[in-house]
Amino acid sequence: MMIHWKIGTAALLSAALVGGTAAFLAATPLFAQETVKLELWSRQDPSGPLRPGNVVKAAERLNKELEAEGSPKRVEVVVRESPAKGFDDDALQLLKVFGIGEGPDMFIAAHEWICAFQEDGFVLKLDDYIAKYPQHFGTIFPSLWSSAKCPDGTYAIPQDAEARMFFYNKKLLREAGYDDAFIDSMPERTLSGDLTMDELLDIAKQVVEKTEAQYGVLHRPNKGPDYIMAFNAYGNDFADPETGKLLLERDKLAAAFGWFERGVKEGVIPANNTAMEFDALRKEFYTGNAAFWMYGIWDLGSVAFPTYGLPQDEEAFFKDWGWIAGPAAEKGGSPVSLTHPIVYVIAADTKEPELAVRLLGHASAADLNTDHAVTTTHLGIKPEQLEDPRYAEAWPLARATELLKITKFLPNNAQFGELNGIIYAGIQGVESGRLSAQEAADFVIEEASSGLEDVIVK
Amino acid sequence: MATIADELTIERRGHAASAARRRTNFVIFLGPAIVLTVLFFVVPVIIDIAVSFTDLGRSLRITEFTTEQYEKVFRSDRRLTQVIGLTFIYVFGTLAIFNVTFGLILAITTTAIRNVSGSFFRGVWLLPRMSPSVLYILLWLWAVSPTEAGLVNQVLMQAFGLDAPLDLLTSAPIALIVISNGFIGASMGMIIFTAAIRGIPEHLFHAAAVDGAGTFATIRFITLPALRWPISFVTIYQTLSLLVSFEYILLLTKGGPFYDTTVYALYVYRRAFESGQYAYGAALALFLIVIGMVVALIGWRFFDMERLLQRPRIEVH
Repeated sequence: MMIHWKIGTAALLSAALVGGTAAFLAATPLFAQETVKLELWSRQDPSGPLRPGNVVKAAERLNKELEAEGSPKRVEVVVRESPAKGFDDDALQLLKVFGIGEGPDMFIAAHEWICAFQEDGFVLKLDDYIAKYPQHFGTIFPSLWSSAKCPDGTYAIPQDAEARMFFYNKKLLREAGYDDAFIDSMPERTLSGDLTMDELLDIAKQVVEKTEAQYGVLHRPNKGPDYIMAFNAYGNDFADPETGKLLLERDKLAAAFGWFERGVKEGVIPANNTAMEFDALRKEFYTGNAAFWMYGIWDLGSVAFPTYGLPQDEEAFFKDWGWIAGPAAEKGGSPVSLTHPIVYVIAADTKEPELAVRLLGHASAADLNTDHAVTTTHLGIKPEQLEDPRYAEAWPLARATELLKITKFLPNNAQFGELNGIIYAGIQGVESGRLSAQEAADFVIEEASSGLEDVIVK
Repeated sequence: MATIADELTIERRGHAASAARRRTNFVIFLGPAIVLTVLFFVVPVIIDIAVSFTDLGRSLRITEFTTEQYEKVFRSDRRLTQVIGLTFIYVFGTLAIFNVTFGLILAITTTAIRNVSGSFFRGVWLLPRMSPSVLYILLWLWAVSPTEAGLVNQVLMQAFGLDAPLDLLTSAPIALIVISNGFIGASMGMIIFTAAIRGIPEHLFHAAAVDGAGTFATIRFITLPALRWPISFVTIYQTLSLLVSFEYILLLTKGGPFYDTTVYALYVYRRAFESGQYAYGAALALFLIVIGMVVALIGWRFFDMERLLQRPRIEVH
């Protein structure tokens, strides 16, 4: 009897224990669901609101995946917006933020800055993660990955690409006396190396002299990538291919500055281009007061179509407008174009690197990236996006993709951002008549040699 | 005897009490000012000196203590000579043309006319100082816009038949920064000189008039001698103020074209905050502090400010 009672009690207790445990385990995901907040630093940028927007959307997808896996974790993205005017200012600001230990978990940056963060140990090396998640990263164009690398590995995930070019106003060229055959052959002639940088100035000069238009060539009024294209045309690559160190070649620099100098002397580039406002420059070009505008493909979707009402229909657009790559310096030389990928980067000290990688993997999904590409005329990052009918419909993307054959990147050198500031000051010096082309080359070399480290001068 | 001893004790107590009261008063009245001075003037200078001996860069990290920044200042910075020359032109140009001379002219003319009109014109000249700097410079940017829409160009083209619009930001940037700063600086001199002129007893002007003095003689022999101390003060104060301020230049020309309007203080800012070379900026800033102190001391001796601070000089009893 006693034994029976004991067995019965033990059975009851065991049953209660098993049942209780089961009930507790079943209830655990409800009670112990953990929200992981991941902070994303993003510049307020009207030319790419979906760069952070896609990460926020990606959190939903990741959370569904986590739920399906039975993980108690859920991700919430907190976007921290920075008011910086450009990616360079933003990077300098963010370096300080990291420096005082207040860095975010992830950030959006221009690719040439990542090694500056990597040098100080602020960012996470991603090679192993990229290999681990081929479903997210496997099909990203291999060429784009090279913009995400520092000397010892990959530190970023490409978010988009674009193409930079000289837009031109065909109406003004016609008014200046060029026939349609000449005007329509310009892109092809540029790509074959037949149309040169100097011929571009000549055409612009004809426009200024023979039409009401005031300007021949306009370019951005602040530090940025497009004008580097002109330097590339004259053979400046700014990085030593063997060591990756910054490379400055006096003659090639002087040749490139010479193009800007001739532009101003011929009355084609305004001497005060660098003192003008960005919006004013765009207005001059899109309202027919300038022959050429050196900028990038996204300007169509961001400004030209919505603000200045340029025709969105392909045929109508190319009737009066067009673009050419950066021409070669001399006949038979190589034309140039520049792409400037924006990248996602993860902080080295984030508590949840795995989740951050997966989150950005979802943000890089073809459909989300296409949303960004087609709304802001940026190029996609994956071949499968080309099959998306929305992408195919966005003709500027398909047409700009032609330039990728000749495109170059800015060097991924930690000091390039600073060097670019010096180059821009040189352009300002030349255009405003304060420096000759040769003096500008000397100025860049002097400033870079005294302010930057490990600069090779030839 | 006892009474004398008691009296002495009482007197000593009195002395002790007054000494204690003096100390308390010192702490109460000067303490806050001393704390603020130390916190916001002395400590920053010490931090600046410390930072200038490091390699503090764009990510705010110090890896070594070094004299590299000073080597850079003396050896490799080719822009410095130009920057210092420009600063000299800017400070003394603004000071000589506007802050003192024009301030003085405004004070003399607005006190010579009817009180209502005088106050009105002084009010107008105070507007630049009262408006926020960004708004003030926005108006300037519109006024000197290199297009036909710019105010100056509208006037020149429509009233004087100028053919093409002028681009003053490129062709005369130094004149522009002097004028735009001078319009603001003149108002301070104007107010101080006006107050000083009002302090000159009326009967001196009447006496001068009776003696046959004309307007210029009255200014030369009555007004100006009475303004010696305010002029000294305004000169020294505005020199120091112009040496370290650059916000209007940054907003108007961004220091350009090229480095044409980059005065020393703006140069420090551009090096430190636009290039992320904080340690180098600190070394450059230290020289600005030294230059400021030297200028103040020279001014002190030159204008004999010690006498000014002894007792008021403009009142005539």
